Amino acid sequence: MIRFLLLRLGRALLTIALVVTFAFVVLRLSGDPAMLILNVDAPPEAIAAFRQAWGLDRPLWVQYLAYFGNILHGDLGQSMRDGRPAAALVMERIPATLAIALPALLIKVGLGIPAGVQAALHRGSWTDRLVMAAAVAGFTVPSFVLGLVLVLVFAVKLGWLPSGGQDSVLSPILPTITLGIGGAAVLARFTRSAMLEVLGQPYIRTAMAKGVPWRRVVRGHALPNAAIPTVTIIGFMVGSLMAGAVVVESVFSWPGVGRLLITAVSNRDLAVVQCILLLVAGTMVLSNLVVDLLYGVLDPRLRVAR
Amino acid sequence: MLAVAALAWIVLMLGVAVFADQLRPYGITQFDLRNRLAPPLGFGGTAAHLLGTDELGRDVLSRLVVSVRISLLIAFGATAMAALLGTTLGFLAAQHRGWTEAAVLMLIDAQAALPFLILALAVLAFFGNSLPLFVGLMGLYGWERHARIARGLAIQADAQGYAAAVRQLGAGPLRVYLRHVLPNIASTLIVSATLSFPEVILLESGLSFLGLGIQPPMTSLGNMIGYGREYLTRAPWILLAPSAVVVLTTFSVSVLGDWLRDRLDPTLG
Repeated sequence: MIRFLLLRLGRALLTIALVVTFAFVVLRLSGDPAMLILNVDAPPEAIAAFRQAWGLDRPLWVQYLAYFGNILHGDLGQSMRDGRPAAALVMERIPATLAIALPALLIKVGLGIPAGVQAALHRGSWTDRLVMAAAVAGFTVPSFVLGLVLVLVFAVKLGWLPSGGQDSVLSPILPTITLGIGGAAVLARFTRSAMLEVLGQPYIRTAMAKGVPWRRVVRGHALPNAAIPTVTIIGFMVGSLMAGAVVVESVFSWPGVGRLLITAVSNRDLAVVQCILLLVAGTMVLSNLVVDLLYGVLDPRLRVAR
Repeated sequence: MLAVAALAWIVLMLGVAVFADQLRPYGITQFDLRNRLAPPLGFGGTAAHLLGTDELGRDVLSRLVVSVRISLLIAFGATAMAALLGTTLGFLAAQHRGWTEAAVLMLIDAQAALPFLILALAVLAFFGNSLPLFVGLMGLYGWERHARIARGLAIQADAQGYAAAVRQLGAGPLRVYLRHVLPNIASTLIVSATLSFPEVILLESGLSFLGLGIQPPMTSLGNMIGYGREYLTRAPWILLAPSAVVVLTTFSVSVLGDWLRDRLDPTLG
């Protein structure tokens, strides 16, 4: 068990190191940041001064080591636009993103899983077909289309909810719903397949033949076994909360990390982009680790030392 | 039944994409300044502009038709590239076990560890936005999925008699993979490609919507939605038309993919 964990941890760290290296390489390949930030016809002295200030005139491998070292010390560079530390900029946006991402996750899990389970339990019935139709609609409609349609209906035509910004208490409602529905649809579909697969197993038939009441069969045998692949998907969703938020925050002008990323990309503010990249990679890796740990808890077969 | 409707829509979209230049009544940058923000036919508009016009008097239908072509072209190209790249790497990993395989697996893990949208945004931030770069970037979407499948299936195929037999007869690895293994696993790869295709469309529209994808004067579905957003209250048809096309197209390809999967390889469910 310990060995399993250590191996996973090692792989996680390696992945993060790869992402850091990727960010560094791409950053250096993309051209001289000095030329990007300052104007093309800035005087050569200004460019030289800029390069020296940001350490761009040192040899590449020195820059790489310095970059890595800085990251380990928590220094993720400064925004080339307003000079503030990139990490601080990102940190102050995180609460806003969490304010819609966490409730959205609740919607995904709270709506998606029960819907998928019910669809599996009543396979072929109207419940099943309705849930599956809704699910397919949920993930083929892109989040920005859904968001805009919701704004059109609820903000413009009906005037019940605000269409953007963070001013009122009702503001997070539409962004959260938009963010949650796609994931709920995917989860519903996935949970349904997982449940169907489990329900087709011989041990379910045995339990029923033994006379175990159906509810206990579902709760004690089917659900725990279907939980394992489902937990994987949930872990993946947690890890990619940020990606989903990018588009939704743009649609609703929600001041979170996603919007910061878009702004930074448009402004070529590389330090901020790198910082967010690391944040996302770290979140992903962390959630994968937690999922792996949960496997150990959920699947007794994995608890036996190998 | 649904699959038939889906197929019909896809054929329609393909037709539109191929015959875009013949179908569109106007040029995509042609202004009609006296008819700005005209609504579609049936909502107060005229037959001159069936789907209305945008803020510069450009015909929405014409732009839609050309957008379909561009978005579909990119989606096809990207899916093909990712499939080609992924399959090649997967085969390489299966053929030369050991270091090559370990390297490929690590790449797959690293790629899967980062949501593609974030990765794409980072690359676009670093390199700026040019069309070849953008298309190349789209071509990287989902390669790891194809690589995993190709590798798994190639390893399985190796265990079956025919691969060994052909090798015994002296066939080199290229011949083995291209003429013998590939046809046998093609159906699974095709299903996997139909899963990626709608996702590429959504990815490209998303990036274009954010202003970081297809740049004007070129037009794409996401692009139109992005620009239509500003006129949400006054002229919702500008964004509703491309939105409907995106939704119907991705839906149709998903339905078709599901149907294909049920037919060709039920084990993938």
